[in-house]
Amino acid sequence: MPTHRLPLWRYESRRAGWAARAAPPAALLVTLVMALLTASGGAGHDQVGQLLLTGLEAILPLAVGMAAVTIVARDGCRELQLSLPARYAGTLGRRLGVLALVGAACAVAFTAGVWLSGWWAGPNILASPLVWAPPMLWLTGLTVLLGMLGRSVVLATSVVSALWLGEQLFAGSFVALDWTRPFFLFTTSRVGVGEGWLTNRLALVGSGLLFVAVVVLLLRRPHLLLTEEEE
Amino acid sequence: MSELLAVGRYEFRMQVRKRSLWLAMLLLAAVIALTQGDRGPRYTEAGAPAREVMAGWALLFGIVVPIGFGMVLADRLVRDRRLGTTALLESLPVGPRVLLAGKYLGGLASSALPGLLAMLVAGGYETVHRGDPLMLAWAVLAFGLIMLPGLAFVAGFALVSPLVISAPLFRVLFVGYWFWGNMLPPEFLPSLSGTLLSPIGDYPVSWLIGETALYAGVPGWLSFLRPAPSGVSVLVSVVLLVLVGLLPLVVAGTVFSRQRRTA
Repeated sequence: MPTHRLPLWRYESRRAGWAARAAPPAALLVTLVMALLTASGGAGHDQVGQLLLTGLEAILPLAVGMAAVTIVARDGCRELQLSLPARYAGTLGRRLGVLALVGAACAVAFTAGVWLSGWWAGPNILASPLVWAPPMLWLTGLTVLLGMLGRSVVLATSVVSALWLGEQLFAGSFVALDWTRPFFLFTTSRVGVGEGWLTNRLALVGSGLLFVAVVVLLLRRPHLLLTEEEE
Repeated sequence: MSELLAVGRYEFRMQVRKRSLWLAMLLLAAVIALTQGDRGPRYTEAGAPAREVMAGWALLFGIVVPIGFGMVLADRLVRDRRLGTTALLESLPVGPRVLLAGKYLGGLASSALPGLLAMLVAGGYETVHRGDPLMLAWAVLAFGLIMLPGLAFVAGFALVSPLVISAPLFRVLFVGYWFWGNMLPPEFLPSLSGTLLSPIGDYPVSWLIGETALYAGVPGWLSFLRPAPSGVSVLVSVVLLVLVGLLPLVVAGTVFSRQRRTA
């Protein structure tokens, strides 16, 4: 990255807000506390490992998705942005990029810590980004898309939260059906790394990129964002 | 008292017009009603008493409807600050505690309306489907006994917590909490699931249907909060949920009062 663009990224990082930057580490911190509680309650090695994996595959992507839709919706001077020659998609992209970077950095550090301490229960460490990156891309893409289509943070976060909760509660049903299995978000922690795992990850990445593409298309008409309802 | 009612009425009328409130909560209720498996309340055996059928519906809606409820209320006080209306409201001849209590009551009443509507629709469907006119009456009773105390509990935290940790962070933690504190088996890890403080209404449902609905009374962490489901434990659960839900409001009201005195 050219050094003259660094201040711009620093500025966008501040515009993204402290809550967005704090959401990924907070999600992993909560996971860590839960794992400590579980371990102190006498749980086995496998159970604690599964819980740590769930934090990476389920809780972190949810946190990033929720923070992303807030970044899109909370711009208080959007009218000013739209009057500038810079494309708004680029501006939002930088803010969401900061969030993705924070999320990825937290995930890598968390994975390294878990692996080094011997609690890692996921795939080969080199394939570990496939645990968190596909669900993060998918959930974030969907949340932002819903936020833009409905122009409501409440609607987007409610629907995505219910979907997340539904996949956790009815994991068996999602895995049992041929057409839902490739899009099941928590295959690593709920099913394991076996046959179909890579297909599932690739399907999530593909559909996640599709959500992102639609978001970029919608951002070609950014004035549609001007009537959002709440933070 | 009249001031409290006035603030509550104002908050209610403002909130009830919010498009996203109705869209989010009715969408969630419709999706879970249509996708319930064969263990859902729609498939309760023919001839089952109305209280059992409608308790099942309240539990089903209780899985997701409070999620929308929490999301809606998460930005109420934050939004007042962001839009600059807090200063305007503080200029009114009403104390901060009354203002907060009115917002709580108005927000609770308006945000609970879609939940009540969902229960009435389910009650209407069951009345026609089973030919039992008691279904509608039990829809209202089940809403009041099972869903409302949990919503009152959520409302207190959803209004106040975002002032401290911000709305987006609250929303993430709230979803995680809802799964952990209501639906996670207590034997899996230390959790509030199956305790008197479980806002999904595990105790009232278990009492009404005569068997454990989820995990009410199942041995686990904080065993003193896990008595066997009975009329008394239901009453204790309802009172506890309402009182604990008021705690954040008491703390926030005290802080706001001090801030106003020192301003």
